Amino acid sequence: MPVAASAIYFLNLRGDVLINRTYRDDVGGNMVDAFRTHIMQTKELGNCPVRQIGGCSFVYMRISNVYIVIVVSSNANVACGFKFVVEAVALFKSYFGGAFDEDAIKNNFVLIYELLDEIMDFGYPQNLSPEILKLYITQEGVRSPFSSKPKDNKPVPNATLQVTGAVGWRREGLSYKKNEVFLDIVESVNLLMSSKGNVLRCDVTGKVLMKCFLSGMPDLKLGLNDKIGLEKESEMKSRPAKSGKTIELDDVTFHQCVNLTRFNSEKTVSFVPPDGEFELMKYRITEGVNLPFRVLPTIKELGRTRMEVNVKVKSVFGAKMFALGVVVKIPVPKQTAKTNFQVTTGRAKYNPSIDCLVWKIRKFPGQTESTLSAEIELISTMGEKKSWTRPPIQMEFQVPMFTASGLRVRFLKVWEKSGYNTVEWVRYITKAGSYEIRC
Amino acid sequence: MTGMRGLSVFISDIRNCQNKEAERLRVDKELGNIRTCFKNEKVLTPYKKKKYVWKMLYIHMLGYDVDFGHMEAVSLISAPKYPEKQVGYIVTSCLLNENHDFLKLAINTVRNDIIGRNETFQCLALTLVGNIGGRDFAESLAPDVQKLLISSSCRPLVRKKAALCLLRLFRKNPDAINVDGWADRMTQLLDERDLGVLTSSTSLLVALVSNNHEAYSSCLPKCVKILERLARNQDVPQEYTYYGIPSPWLQVKAMRALQYFPTIEDPSTRKSLFEVLQRILMGTDVVKNVNKNNASHAVLFEALSLVIHLDAEKEMMSQCVALLGKFISVREPNIRYLGLENMTRMLMVTDVQDVIKKHQSQIITSLKDPDISIRRRALDLLYGMCDVSNAKDIVEELLQYLSTAEFSMREELSLKAAILAEKFAPDLSWYVDVILQLIDKAGDFVSDDIWFRVVQFVTNNEDLQPYAASKAREYLDKIAIHETMVKVSAYILGEYGHLLARQPGCSASELFSILHEKLPTVSTPTIPILLSTYAKLLMHAQPRDPELEKKVWAVFKKYESCIDVEIQQRAVEYFELSKKGAAFMDVLAEMPKFPERQSSLIKKAEIVEDTADQSAIKLRAQQQPSNALVVANPQPVSGAPPPLKIPSQEPQSVARSISQPNGTSSNLDPQAPSPDLLSDLLGPLAIEAAPGAVSTDQHGPSGTGGHADEVDGSAIVPVGEQTNNVEVIGNIAERFHALCLKDSGVLYEDPYIQIGIKAEWRGHHGRLVLFLGNKSTSPLTSVQALILPPAHLKLELSPVPDTIPPRAQVQSPLEVMNIRPSRDVAVLDFSYKLGTIVVGAKLRIPAVINKFLQPLQLTTEEFFPQWRALSGPPLKLQEVVRGVRPLALPEMANLFNSFRVTICPGLDPNPNNLVASTTFYSDTTGAMLCLARIETDPADRTQLRMTVGSGDPTLTFELKEFIKEQLIVMPMGSRALVPAAAAPAPAAVAQPPSPAALADDPGAMLAGLL
Repeated sequence: MPVAASAIYFLNLRGDVLINRTYRDDVGGNMVDAFRTHIMQTKELGNCPVRQIGGCSFVYMRISNVYIVIVVSSNANVACGFKFVVEAVALFKSYFGGAFDEDAIKNNFVLIYELLDEIMDFGYPQNLSPEILKLYITQEGVRSPFSSKPKDNKPVPNATLQVTGAVGWRREGLSYKKNEVFLDIVESVNLLMSSKGNVLRCDVTGKVLMKCFLSGMPDLKLGLNDKIGLEKESEMKSRPAKSGKTIELDDVTFHQCVNLTRFNSEKTVSFVPPDGEFELMKYRITEGVNLPFRVLPTIKELGRTRMEVNVKVKSVFGAKMFALGVVVKIPVPKQTAKTNFQVTTGRAKYNPSIDCLVWKIRKFPGQTESTLSAEIELISTMGEKKSWTRPPIQMEFQVPMFTASGLRVRFLKVWEKSGYNTVEWVRYITKAGSYEIRC
Repeated sequence: MTGMRGLSVFISDIRNCQNKEAERLRVDKELGNIRTCFKNEKVLTPYKKKKYVWKMLYIHMLGYDVDFGHMEAVSLISAPKYPEKQVGYIVTSCLLNENHDFLKLAINTVRNDIIGRNETFQCLALTLVGNIGGRDFAESLAPDVQKLLISSSCRPLVRKKAALCLLRLFRKNPDAINVDGWADRMTQLLDERDLGVLTSSTSLLVALVSNNHEAYSSCLPKCVKILERLARNQDVPQEYTYYGIPSPWLQVKAMRALQYFPTIEDPSTRKSLFEVLQRILMGTDVVKNVNKNNASHAVLFEALSLVIHLDAEKEMMSQCVALLGKFISVREPNIRYLGLENMTRMLMVTDVQDVIKKHQSQIITSLKDPDISIRRRALDLLYGMCDVSNAKDIVEELLQYLSTAEFSMREELSLKAAILAEKFAPDLSWYVDVILQLIDKAGDFVSDDIWFRVVQFVTNNEDLQPYAASKAREYLDKIAIHETMVKVSAYILGEYGHLLARQPGCSASELFSILHEKLPTVSTPTIPILLSTYAKLLMHAQPRDPELEKKVWAVFKKYESCIDVEIQQRAVEYFELSKKGAAFMDVLAEMPKFPERQSSLIKKAEIVEDTADQSAIKLRAQQQPSNALVVANPQPVSGAPPPLKIPSQEPQSVARSISQPNGTSSNLDPQAPSPDLLSDLLGPLAIEAAPGAVSTDQHGPSGTGGHADEVDGSAIVPVGEQTNNVEVIGNIAERFHALCLKDSGVLYEDPYIQIGIKAEWRGHHGRLVLFLGNKSTSPLTSVQALILPPAHLKLELSPVPDTIPPRAQVQSPLEVMNIRPSRDVAVLDFSYKLGTIVVGAKLRIPAVINKFLQPLQLTTEEFFPQWRALSGPPLKLQEVVRGVRPLALPEMANLFNSFRVTICPGLDPNPNNLVASTTFYSDTTGAMLCLARIETDPADRTQLRMTVGSGDPTLTFELKEFIKEQLIVMPMGSRALVPAAAAPAPAAVAQPPSPAALADDPGAMLAGLL
């Protein structure tokens, strides 16, 4: 098992240590000063998440207004380190409800120390599952006022038995009045398109999130319209596969609750779910992506001090659907002085601190199009004429009930000994990842 | 500034930013805002403009790029009100520099302010000019500034600024001040009563005088007057008295100015100046107050420089030395440092030598000072003051000090000790003692030169040899000795060990055993010396000592297979030689005497001095060509070269003197040695630089000496004839032939330039790119590249830049179009200039016939109809080629493929034959199929029969000739072979094609077979 951390530091944006824990003696206590002077105070900060200074490696990431820095001196598993940080943050969030930021850390010193003791041992990551940890670290976090009320405490069965048992992620004896399952498919589309409209790079990363409120020890089975599953099914039932779209999923990863042997043999996703919210699976799709938006930019530089920008955005998803929170960021040169807009929908303005025209459309129905045309005046400069690099146009959006991959839930079956009825809720949403169009 | 709310809000916003990122966002936002406001058609109110320009300045100070809005800043200069004008001037002088074009717009406004009546505006304008004024400003504003300076109606405040502003303009453009008219005015200016104006004017005077002291000679008495006035403390207002010293700044400047005049002729002026100096020398003492000390010492040391410069009477000099002696005994390190440093300077004035000697003990004490800079100065001084009378003491002192000195100083120390010992040795045995002690005490820091020198001395002085040998023997008895000591003693004992033969413990075999003990401890470079010593010992062992012989042979045997070539060679050679008796004696006879020459140590000391921390004197001398140091006659101290090198003797001047045609070169160090004879002898030990490396020292101000020969080597040749004396790297012909078969590579290379080529060929078009890379550190100028195209090629070379910057590469594309087949080659006439060297080369461009071939593989069905269709000459030519370089068949096939003639395997039933095909492209022929057949004789690989066919008679002929050339000539071989080998070719072609030849046509036979 790889070492993941010799020490972990939580710093605020100024570089003050909020909290730290040293797991091994091979790094000095002042290493965080090195991080502060050599990384935080330079422009390196945003560039590279792993840096080596002296004999130590610094693995760091920023989460809201907190830097989490892992210091290791041996040959550590960096990916494991990052995963540990991500999981730890998820754990903290589940303890003190929602936000993880500087204030949350300050409010929960004791709890965080206790958790840090528990989740890593001599540099080796331990159990980070919130469900389990809540069994024996029963201290309550100080919740921020906006988070939801904690549920009332249930009697704790034998924690050790629980952790070491076959279904370590689920307690026995749960019971709900109303048995409900919520299933969300969340996809984010990454796109890089050339100015002529050729797709240079396009993929979708998606995840299936679940929230279960089920009694007892239910066994669930999920059917998607993915290719392997469908083929296997038709093979087993010895009848031709149904016509219709099938999706080829790449890089599928499952939550630990999914029974992998059964997945390997029968290609079905069957599992005993943990209680509450969890991420069932993650996947990636590179082919057959339905792009929700088309962007047609024309940017003309008229001489040294004038520019004309014309951007047309077309929504190509179903007419009944709509996108929310559409933001188009059109980069302009640094010496932009004056802008004049005309937009068919939404609002646009020039934001000098990111050197972009920001065009916001709150609600964008499907199968429509809207345009922005702007005249831009540039100020003349003294410096040598650096030609403008024309960065790509960026786009942000959310389209509910639409999946860029075309993935659909075919069925979600629930079996339980008692045979109660369940209510299943399915939701789809597509977001923009890095959705860029060169101009 | 008050009341600008927007500005203060912005600044407080910035200060409240938590991190750099937030600050950047805020700044970018503000810059966007300023841009919008500046771009607005509406005219900005002066208040707003002022506010935004202040913001710009603040952003600029934070380190962000502000590359717009200069126009607004400059326009504010012409605003009528002070606040706007002020910000205009300030921002302009911060954001712009003298090279900006915008400044030209401002010149007129600035001029208006200068000639205007408003004093405040005048000051602002003068400050701007003084801060950034460039050449343009100098040209247009100098007269106005001069007028301000001499006008009596201006307040001193303005005139002070005007003087400094003029100084700046003068530095930028010396023509700004007209010498003729200005000298008188300058003299008048020095009569000024106001000390502030006077100080500024004196600054100006120092610059003027440093440029041209003759024109301003009338100012000399005025400077003395000023000094008198200050020294007598007449008419010095309270505000110009600093700790009781009347305006020390003015005093220093006046004395500095005086140092630029070569001498003072007028006796009365001289007298009064000396009185003043005397007063300064007498009146200065060390006091408690640091500021007062600093001021009075500044004046004092400037006075000392002046005294040295003026070559004052002995009495005054000794008075100075006495004063300095007082200084070096003070506890305060700064003062001691200055004292030592100035004493070293005083040394250049010969006659204070004896006076300084009185302080010798004090100086030696300074050698133990905790402050290293003081120790260094003391060492310099000791080194400088050393002569025959005190050499023994000083060298002993240095040797003693060596064991405690810090490592960084030890090398310099040992070198200096060695030099002093050599220069002032009362007797030679003392010298040998000293050097051996030196090696013993600080072996690591003794450079090879030192022991080389000792060996030279011993070799050249017979009386010294036995003494040296016995000393060396003594040192060998020590348990742990330094490797350098092993080297010296091995060398000396090898040469002169036999002189000790009668002493106990010094027989050859004993010497061998004691030396051999050291062998395991030494490093590789020492082993060859030991081997030589063994061989010499063996030779000197009379009568022959079989015991010793056995031992020594065993050692030689052991090293016969050593990995180090030098050791191996010596071992083998000595072993063989030692069996040869008489020849052995001859070869290993005593070393001949070395030719007398300048000590390499002194040479080295000069270099060390140059690289070591530059003493303040030298820095001063470099900054301003003060005559103080140059004029002072550097009489050699006790007949040795001056310890402190005279600056300003640059290699160029040496070179110039040598390049005069006759005579002069002979008086320049006739010994001019090859780098080092001894190091030549010692082979691999030669750590001293090789000739090439020495030439890099040319730039060091080495004066005369060892480098003269290098300098004269390049300087004696008249400039015009220096063409093509660069050495071409690699063989041009070979490179060309390689490029005939490849598409990229190096076409030409010499020490300064490398021409690479990269080519792409498509059909009958080709695109070559020439990469001209400047390898040197100076630009290549007058670069020219001309293409001399043959008739069949159309070549277009895009122009090559005239200059290639140092270490840069330029690309120059060359378009080629092939019109018809021909084997002629295009030539690139290339030349460039590096300094005075003109280099030219004619290079063949590898755009040869095979570049226009496209490989083509044919099948049997395609080949034979084509082959048959070519009926015979002139479309199909056959020739028996002799003198072919023997090649195995696969190799030949590879060769064909390499020039894009594809071998089609399996077409010919005879395995000794090759059949090949290709397509040729040219403008006239278009794409043309070419076929070839080679019949080889397995018995005689040097001859073959070749048949080439194509649809064009010229193409057939040219292709055949080309293939023949390739087969006969080694592609890597010399081009000279080509004409000879190609000579029989036309004859063969000239033969009328006979029917017999037709019958022999292998194609026909081939067809028959199938």
